[in-house]
Amino acid sequence: MADVNLHEQSDTQAMQNPAGQNPLERLLFYVGSAALLAVIAVEALSVLGRHVSLPLIGAIEIIQALILIAACASTVFATLRAAHATVRLLTNRMSTTVQRRLSQVNAVLAALFFAGLAIGSFWLARDFWNAYEESELLHISYRPLRAIATLSALSTMMIFLYGILQREKQR
Amino acid sequence: MNGLLGVLALLGLLTMGVPIGVAMGLVGMIGLTLLVGFEPAMIKSGVVFMETYSRHELGVLPLFLFMAHICFAAGASRDFFDAAAKLVGHRRGGLALASIVGCAGFGAVSGSSLATAATIGLIGLPEMRKRGYSDALATGSIAAGGTLGSLTPPSGALIVFGILAEQSIGKLFTAAIVPALTQALLYMLVIVIVCRWRPTIAPPAAKASWAERGAALLRVIDIAALVGIVLGGIAVGWFTPTEAASVGASLSLVMCALRRKFTLPALKTALVGTLKTTGMLYTVILGALIFSVYISFTGLAEQIATLIGHFHGGPMITMIVITLLLLVLGSVLDGLAMMLLTTPILLPIVVSLGLSPIWFGVFLIRTMEVGFVHPPIGINLYVIQNIAPDVPLSRIFKGVLPFLAADFLHIALLLAFPAMVLALPHWLS
Repeated sequence: MADVNLHEQSDTQAMQNPAGQNPLERLLFYVGSAALLAVIAVEALSVLGRHVSLPLIGAIEIIQALILIAACASTVFATLRAAHATVRLLTNRMSTTVQRRLSQVNAVLAALFFAGLAIGSFWLARDFWNAYEESELLHISYRPLRAIATLSALSTMMIFLYGILQREKQR
Repeated sequence: MNGLLGVLALLGLLTMGVPIGVAMGLVGMIGLTLLVGFEPAMIKSGVVFMETYSRHELGVLPLFLFMAHICFAAGASRDFFDAAAKLVGHRRGGLALASIVGCAGFGAVSGSSLATAATIGLIGLPEMRKRGYSDALATGSIAAGGTLGSLTPPSGALIVFGILAEQSIGKLFTAAIVPALTQALLYMLVIVIVCRWRPTIAPPAAKASWAERGAALLRVIDIAALVGIVLGGIAVGWFTPTEAASVGASLSLVMCALRRKFTLPALKTALVGTLKTTGMLYTVILGALIFSVYISFTGLAEQIATLIGHFHGGPMITMIVITLLLLVLGSVLDGLAMMLLTTPILLPIVVSLGLSPIWFGVFLIRTMEVGFVHPPIGINLYVIQNIAPDVPLSRIFKGVLPFLAADFLHIALLLAFPAMVLALPHWLS
């Protein structure tokens, strides 16, 4: 994670390589994009199938799994690109020193939030691990989905923590 | 008391610049921990996390975002503006009218106020300034017109409200059609009145020939059909909003290819934009849902409803007070933050007054839009100033003022005649 980019890429950089410069960003881009395009394809086929009396059985279950993958990948991706929505009414009017300190505090709080999510999601995964949860029609196992969700919360937390360390080093 | 402290803590974190989703989620988690203990709070947060991220209906959000990016790559924004400019551009204020039509048209594919103002601003603003339009009218009409992006279905704000309030997204889309159309018509009326009053601010331009007009209309026919299929399909029940979004995304890819604008870099850029916004919105929605669970545990909404009941003011007076509260909050909070903060608290109150949650969703977003065009937040004003840096912010705001008056009139109309929102979904159901 040495070359994780926590700041918005410049326009030129983004034009040259929209998927990102580092391997993690590129991996997330390809995983998220593939899941998203698969959702489009499955849902469109399901609509088409329904209207020609050839329903795609279990389409919703496939889509739910794909959406979870796309959402998890995009949350980590948005964190790497520092794309989370913030209210800047007050902070924009503060000095750069105060802004820098606040951004450190905010990153700690964000790491705490995602740590909470990772704990909650891990707790559930552990409780249900041996319950062999699966979807009704296609029997898609929930185990990998719970693992992906926990991993994405954990990765997001680590990116925020890594950002704090990076900024401390730069000082 | 606990709930109130939670709201105050949230406002504090938001002004500190903590990401909106994180602030809401963290306050919700800590509040739940204080109310029910660490283990149940964490497990509940984990449950909300899994349910939100795997929710089928929420898939509508990235799909519509992707459709918007592809339509943008296909040149939809310029075509909408060009078609309207060719039709009415020769009249006094015609290009300002065209900007409103362009905003409404592009708003129907972008679903975002910011994107609509920025995109139509880039096209319409230089054109109006070249033709000698006053800076105030040119910038004001686009800043105000941009807000149509938030209300015109399929809008991101409506989807987020639908998820938070557990309301049918399809019904919300259908309910927003008449308010979005009347909002656009009121803005156009404002332009006509202002141009009659001061004709020099918007000189007429050369009239386009019927052949040019026909060609411009032909260029938007595919996008208009796409919007028609998506919205019409939802309204008449051909498909659910998620299915409509996926049909829309697929058709937008076909349209982009037919227009010979489909390239690998364009697809990559669209996907990157979609993933970034999706990640941001999922975090915001997740945080808001955890906060909402916490608020329902505190009973804050019920306490406020009881308090309001003591005043015996009736639904109308209560709604006027709520409207004023929303307008005040909208002027100091970002629109999304305001909606996420107020929905869990105000929705139960509105429902207890016997009002429709669908109506409230549309009304809330309409009220939220006002904050986009006036200081200190007024994000659309900054977007427009970014496009025209030589126009001072005060001049842009001067241009927005007549539209702001139309906004207040429109909000009053929605309050007085809820049928403007509810009639169409009722009729179609």
